[in-house]
Amino acid sequence: MSILLIVALGGLMHAARSFHGDGAGPLGSGTALAFGYVLLTAFFAGRIFKQVRLPKLTGYIAAGMIVGPSVLGLLNHHMVEQLKIVNGVAIALIALTAGNELDFREFRPLLRSIQWITLVAVVGTSMLLGIAVFALKSFLPFMADMPLTHALAVSMVLGVTMAAQSPAVVVALRDEMEADGPVSRTVLGVVVIADLVVILLFALVSSIAKSVFGTPGDAMETVGRLAWEILGSLGAGAMVGVLLAVYLRKVAGGAALFVVTVTFVMAEVGTRLHFDPLLIALAAGVLIRNLTRMGDKLHHEIEASSLPVYVVFFAVAGANIHLDVLALVGIPAAAFVLVRGFGLMAGTKIGARIAEAPETVRRYAGMGLLPQAGLALALALLFAKTFPEFGDDAAALTLGVVALNELIAPAIYRMALMRSGEAGRRAQRPEPTPAAPEGEAVALPPA
Amino acid sequence: MLSHPSENRPANGFLLALALVVALAPSAAFSQPPGEPSGAMQAEAVAPEAPPAGTSQPEAVAPEAPPAGTSQPEAVAPEPPPAGAARGPGAPPAGVPAEPLPAAAPAARAAGPLPAIAAPGGPDPEVPDSRAPLDPGPWAPEWLREADRGPPAAIRDLQATDETAQRLAAPEAGDVAPPPPIPPAKRPPVLIKTILGLIALLALAYLGGHPRMRVIEKRLRISQVVTAGFPFIALGVVANLPSVGILTDSVLDELTPLLRFGLGWIGFAAGYRFDTRAFDDLPKDTAKAVGFATLMPFLTVLTAASLLLLLASDWTESTFRDPIFLRDALILGTAGAMTARAASRLVKGNADYLWLQRFKKIVQLEQLAGIAGLAFIAAYFRPQGPDLGWHLPGTAWIFLTVGLGATIGIVAYTILRRPATGAESVVLLLGTVAFAAGSASALFLSPIVVCFVAGVLLANFPGASKDRLGEALEKLERPIYLLFLVVVGAIWNFEDWRGWVLLVVFVAARLTGKWLGAHLTSRYTNFDTLAHERWISNRAPMGQLSIAIVVSAQLLFPHGSIPIVVTAVIGGAIVTEVLVQVFARKASPTEDVDLDFEAPEEPAPAIPPEVA
Repeated sequence: MSILLIVALGGLMHAARSFHGDGAGPLGSGTALAFGYVLLTAFFAGRIFKQVRLPKLTGYIAAGMIVGPSVLGLLNHHMVEQLKIVNGVAIALIALTAGNELDFREFRPLLRSIQWITLVAVVGTSMLLGIAVFALKSFLPFMADMPLTHALAVSMVLGVTMAAQSPAVVVALRDEMEADGPVSRTVLGVVVIADLVVILLFALVSSIAKSVFGTPGDAMETVGRLAWEILGSLGAGAMVGVLLAVYLRKVAGGAALFVVTVTFVMAEVGTRLHFDPLLIALAAGVLIRNLTRMGDKLHHEIEASSLPVYVVFFAVAGANIHLDVLALVGIPAAAFVLVRGFGLMAGTKIGARIAEAPETVRRYAGMGLLPQAGLALALALLFAKTFPEFGDDAAALTLGVVALNELIAPAIYRMALMRSGEAGRRAQRPEPTPAAPEGEAVALPPA
Repeated sequence: MLSHPSENRPANGFLLALALVVALAPSAAFSQPPGEPSGAMQAEAVAPEAPPAGTSQPEAVAPEAPPAGTSQPEAVAPEPPPAGAARGPGAPPAGVPAEPLPAAAPAARAAGPLPAIAAPGGPDPEVPDSRAPLDPGPWAPEWLREADRGPPAAIRDLQATDETAQRLAAPEAGDVAPPPPIPPAKRPPVLIKTILGLIALLALAYLGGHPRMRVIEKRLRISQVVTAGFPFIALGVVANLPSVGILTDSVLDELTPLLRFGLGWIGFAAGYRFDTRAFDDLPKDTAKAVGFATLMPFLTVLTAASLLLLLASDWTESTFRDPIFLRDALILGTAGAMTARAASRLVKGNADYLWLQRFKKIVQLEQLAGIAGLAFIAAYFRPQGPDLGWHLPGTAWIFLTVGLGATIGIVAYTILRRPATGAESVVLLLGTVAFAAGSASALFLSPIVVCFVAGVLLANFPGASKDRLGEALEKLERPIYLLFLVVVGAIWNFEDWRGWVLLVVFVAARLTGKWLGAHLTSRYTNFDTLAHERWISNRAPMGQLSIAIVVSAQLLFPHGSIPIVVTAVIGGAIVTEVLVQVFARKASPTEDVDLDFEAPEEPAPAIPPEVA
């Protein structure tokens, strides 16, 4: 029945779009149509994928890819661009959820594991990927004729870029599988910290690369920008967290709407202020969970409003997978996917062993580091802009790696959660009662 | 079905609307001072400076950031287009005076050229000129066909100067570059402003739901005005002012899909309330009562508006045959014909249950008349053009409207009847309504009508999912509606004095028609409208559907005198609420007047056969 519905919706979509000869309709009509279409289609695709024991997330991505400009073209480029307004909110909501999950009391026993895995797996894989890029440089047209030092510099940058993980996928899968346990918590902790580590590493290696290529740059300015971005994001996040906590405590209604609004503000304003919306939301979530008693209530409010955002977010991600690019860079991209996977899994095993982590963490946590998404793409595009002579080719390669990981990695992590026995564990925990507003909270009279 | 949402107090509404305002407040950093072009939107020539490193940027092709490690050039605001340059599809067609006539043209609300979404740099030959005079089409009756179909001079002036019309008429253009990042020197003030805005929002949300606020509203006799959501229209108006610059043109362009979605949602919710089983036992003369209640105000408004629009136009033969004039008068009449659902709240507490139920059904049936009117207008006054496919006669479009609504209703039924959690129901409902509204809009049909038909079908098909859907609908209806009102306020062109003149005529004509209708109903049917309250209380209030109808009309027909019609209806609704509050006796003992109120579902008392 889901398939029939998808087909019916596709037919209606095609009919609606055929009305206008040039594909353009009245202002705003295409976006509303695309939003509704992609939300429903991706939702049903997710159900189909769930029936074949794949993550619903992969279904959302696959649906977006199929109906997007690369395949069926039911969504054109303009519609996909317009739908990106959802992305900012989604990223912030996901990060808020992730931060809200980071209860220090529960994570303290895992801190050592997280530190070592981040160091060995993430940093180690960056180096491994850099070596792999350098080793395969003769097969990469944009690097084949580069001098040694230049090739080394580019290899370092690409290595860091391709090592980036995706908190979005990890959080979404954890929610979908209702997973809880040392594996899922360790993975969550690692990807959150790895986000920071990759940003720092990227800043470092790209500065080195720029100096190698003779591109002008100011070290102090770089440090200043980095400090503004990271410290400023965390500070802003703390303030936002306080606001959210006060709202949840003092006002009885409309919390979900307030949360969504705040995430929208974080995404829009934060980006323009050179903050990282993910860090802002993360900091806010961590503060609420660890310094207030509103963590469970926030979780309850987010849960209700997050599903539509997630569905559209991942579907749009799928729609942005350029299959034509993938066809061009498929083989080297596949090679780097394998190298990356090996590096993360082996590095996790080593790091977990050093930290004396539980056996399940050693065996399965590495699979949770495989998913990849927006951060890698953002860094690749930035690299392309910094080095326009060859940056586009390098970005295309990264895009291919990300696309493959987007399609394959969620299924692998799902398998890891199932095999580790953590899937469904959160549903078995008794649901804490959301804290009622205190003090002068305006509780509205009953009808 | 939709119970009294005590939690949907103005706290939520203020919160929602102000949330939108605060959320978009920082865009004021990029808003152009009056008179300056929106050059920031024309950033194709400059590589936009990306968000900072590291970012957890969207999965898709990210707007890219200079990470902190790289020295990126600051984005340079591109040069504005030279004065006099063509402005894309929104530019006035040849021969139309570009500058307004001194007497009639509205003052510029947001000076400066059109937003670049309307193809910067010149008209796009691929995009149809949506400002061409309307063509009634080859299937129009002979008396409508005319060699010169141009609109009257006053209308042309309006077309030339009304930026809202021009923006809404512009088809969706290519990608719009995002606003550039804030320069370092301005970041701390923007950050502080944002935080303060969120704090203000929090404070307002807290105060809005405070019991003392309700006492103040009661004392000022503005409870109903507040509950009806009209302050959010004011909020939208304020946010769009050039001096405030929050809901700028570029932001409104991004929010237009929300407007269409909101219209679809209103239509869907209205249709979902139409459970035909509730009308199985309609007492005799109900049809007559509905007829009087809708036809009288429709005719009085139509007559009065026609006279006024005639006075405002040039008296040529083309004016009398111009469909635009007839269309606008019909829109006004349709919007004025209905009564708000909340009117039942103003009925005195001693009204018996049967009377109240009958009254509510009559009010609900009035909505059907409004929907039918809008369907007729959208079908018979469609835009024409070579780039629009499916050239069909008006009657065919009526069938198409109903057919599209029915098709989507059936698909929606199939979608929504499946077992789903609360969150999944919300997803499915949002997706269905957005898809229906988008489909209707893409075909230049009214989203209200199409979604109404879909909602009616859904409400009347069997299934155990109705309670679940009703809950989801109730949860989202008010926030979406209030957000819709903010956007309506932002696109409302209130500066044209002709709209205010039309408002006075509209209100007077409508109240006259309602009075006539109430008295004719009491006299010629067995339903005594005036038994439990003055006619002004239970017949006069205007509901969300009336506002939605004119907004839908504005999206369908951006040209012509629609902007002044919008002023008349929105302003008229507010004025009517105030009048009702002033003249109504104390009716209901409960003080929380709400649009969504439904009378408590008491078990029906035993009805003696002679009464039934």
